[in-house]
Amino acid sequence: MSELTAKEVTSRRQRRRERARQQQADEGGVPLRLLGVKRRTVFFLTALCIVFTIYTLIPIVWVIVNATKTQYNILTTFGFWFAHPFSLVSNFRALFNNVDGVGVYFRWFLNTLLYAGVGGIGATVFATLAGYGFSRFRFRGSRSAFMFVIAALLVPVTAISYPLYLIYARAGLINSAWGMILPSLVTPVGVYLMRTFIDASVPQELIDAARVDGAGEIKIFRRLALPLMGPGFVTVLLLNVVAVWNNYFLPMIIFSENSRFPLTVGMGVWASHAAQSGDQNIYPLLVTGGLVTIVPLAALFWFVQRRWNGGLLVGSLAN
Amino acid sequence: MARISAQGLTKVYADGTVGLRDFSLEIEEGEFVTLVGPSGCGKTTALRMIAGLEEITSGTLKIGDRVVNDVAPLERDVAMVFQNYALYPHLTVAENIGFPLEMRNVPKAERRAKVEEAARVLGLEGYLSRKPRNLSGGQRQRVAMGRAIVRRPAVFLMDEPLSNLDAKLRVQMRAEVQRIQRQLGVATLYVTHDQTEAVTMGDRVVVMRDGALQQNGTPHELYEHPVNMFVGAFIGSPAMNLYRGEIVRADGQLELHIGSQSLELPPELVARSPRLAAYAGRSLIVGIRPEQLSLPDPGNPPRSKRLAALTADAELVEDLGNELFVHFRLGVPRLSENAVAATAGASDESVEADAGVARVAPRSRVRSGDRVTFDVVVDGLYFFDEDTGAVVGGRSSSRRGSTDNQIVAEANE
Repeated sequence: MSELTAKEVTSRRQRRRERARQQQADEGGVPLRLLGVKRRTVFFLTALCIVFTIYTLIPIVWVIVNATKTQYNILTTFGFWFAHPFSLVSNFRALFNNVDGVGVYFRWFLNTLLYAGVGGIGATVFATLAGYGFSRFRFRGSRSAFMFVIAALLVPVTAISYPLYLIYARAGLINSAWGMILPSLVTPVGVYLMRTFIDASVPQELIDAARVDGAGEIKIFRRLALPLMGPGFVTVLLLNVVAVWNNYFLPMIIFSENSRFPLTVGMGVWASHAAQSGDQNIYPLLVTGGLVTIVPLAALFWFVQRRWNGGLLVGSLAN
Repeated sequence: MARISAQGLTKVYADGTVGLRDFSLEIEEGEFVTLVGPSGCGKTTALRMIAGLEEITSGTLKIGDRVVNDVAPLERDVAMVFQNYALYPHLTVAENIGFPLEMRNVPKAERRAKVEEAARVLGLEGYLSRKPRNLSGGQRQRVAMGRAIVRRPAVFLMDEPLSNLDAKLRVQMRAEVQRIQRQLGVATLYVTHDQTEAVTMGDRVVVMRDGALQQNGTPHELYEHPVNMFVGAFIGSPAMNLYRGEIVRADGQLELHIGSQSLELPPELVARSPRLAAYAGRSLIVGIRPEQLSLPDPGNPPRSKRLAALTADAELVEDLGNELFVHFRLGVPRLSENAVAATAGASDESVEADAGVARVAPRSRVRSGDRVTFDVVVDGLYFFDEDTGAVVGGRSSSRRGSTDNQIVAEANE
């Protein structure tokens, strides 16, 4: 039995390797030496990349290391090595506590999950529908409507925060989850990206073929366009979720109850509270909380990157 | 299955461009009609309008007895094969072929049977579970065909379906497509820019140019009796040689002058082409089919008085084994089929730098660089109006008759 599983595992691994090779071939991977790049240049560029990687990873390493320390150790020991006592578990546990009455980390975490989940997925769905419409249908005003969307890219949220607040106050959206979710559903960038992506990845010929084959527009979208939009969809999904996840300004305006805060605002409040009160326990919480904040996004990224496979159209169209 | 009837179809785009002008065509049940013309002539537009992928600006389109101008493609019961196949890349061959059935909610078991049937006809049985990416060009083309034949549509529309195949496969698939079409007996409109494909495949050939139908007839009719210079030059390979000539009346007879050479026009020809006399003293365009030029066989002097001579410089001789193509210069520029002032505008551009082509017997003694004297079958010449390009006389003015066949027989001797 176990032998069989082992065999299965190897064959799966082989298949994966095979697929990677296939993908490289599809993408026309050419060894660098055939491009006439000098060995030294390659070495130099590689070194540069490594340096940049280290630079990028240092803060994350720091967060991981210091999430295991007490406040005293965070402030006094070497930042890139562990120290006694190992307090990751107690730090983690403290995330469930209402620190100094300011708020509970996991409450905020769930809020963020809700806002980013509903907002991010919803925004992606709308962006996909709108992008498809703009890309594949010509209707009266379609051009100017799209220009309008592009123009919306140019307006910073900060500029409209005050009118937004006034509208929210009227609409009763202050301190409501909808206040956070509704504006997150609209992403000009997402619409723009989806349109551009669909232009390139869902050929009109295929849509024409499906129409002649008897498919209605909704079936064409679901059965044909959507599978081809995969990479674009997950990219926009990732961008949207991250945008809502990291959104600080909007929740800061609309939420005054700390039970509604997302992580960004909650931890911001913690940080200023720590700075003012000199509270002994808040720094480890900020660090550990920061670490926990990264996890869902990293997981999402891992989930999404598997779908960034190119060459979906290979074999569909001649030339 | 049904007949298609297009009456005065016109397509005007939003920017005012006319894609198709007053296009009328009837396709009978089971008939195979090819639509041929240079790129941009409106043939694909016509096809897409019949498919329902382009709106019809004006005119009437009927499939069967139903006017379908405003009917969505999915309700027109047409099947189309696209030039670049347009396969669904994420679906298997079986799913691709079965797609039109799936969209019509055909039960799964029936669908599978029909897909297998179509795959059998096309020789795709072993590939049903593959994705398009893992197929060769020829197989992809078959899948595109399969998607069209899996249900029995009223009409097949094919938009240059073979143009992406290599030459050998193309010839092979031509026969295949014809076989399948005969077998299914579905009215078919087949678009191509390749006149050879058009004449070899079509029961009837429709020649188009600049969004307008030029001529509609059997391949033979088009070849023998082109209505204008464009059709004359477009149908036939190598193409008809076109030169500017002048009709001169001398001693009560008409003569044709091409450059400094002159050919006597036999009275029968003149009698057959009454309009020709009106061109006396004027220039017109002469069309000479490559096979109407021959090189005299030394042991076998010309018997017919109809044979006249044209002297030219052989620039290049292509030996095809069973015949020779002699590329020659006549001393006057050869014209292209677009040389009609009414459409071409700038006449300078319409003058082709190409040499003329003669198709002569394989044993003719001719080498590149030789000065040669061709025998010309004067009866087989075509005459076109210089301004309109319309045929004014010559061979094509005699519509099907014994004289015509006689000439053909002689030309082939």
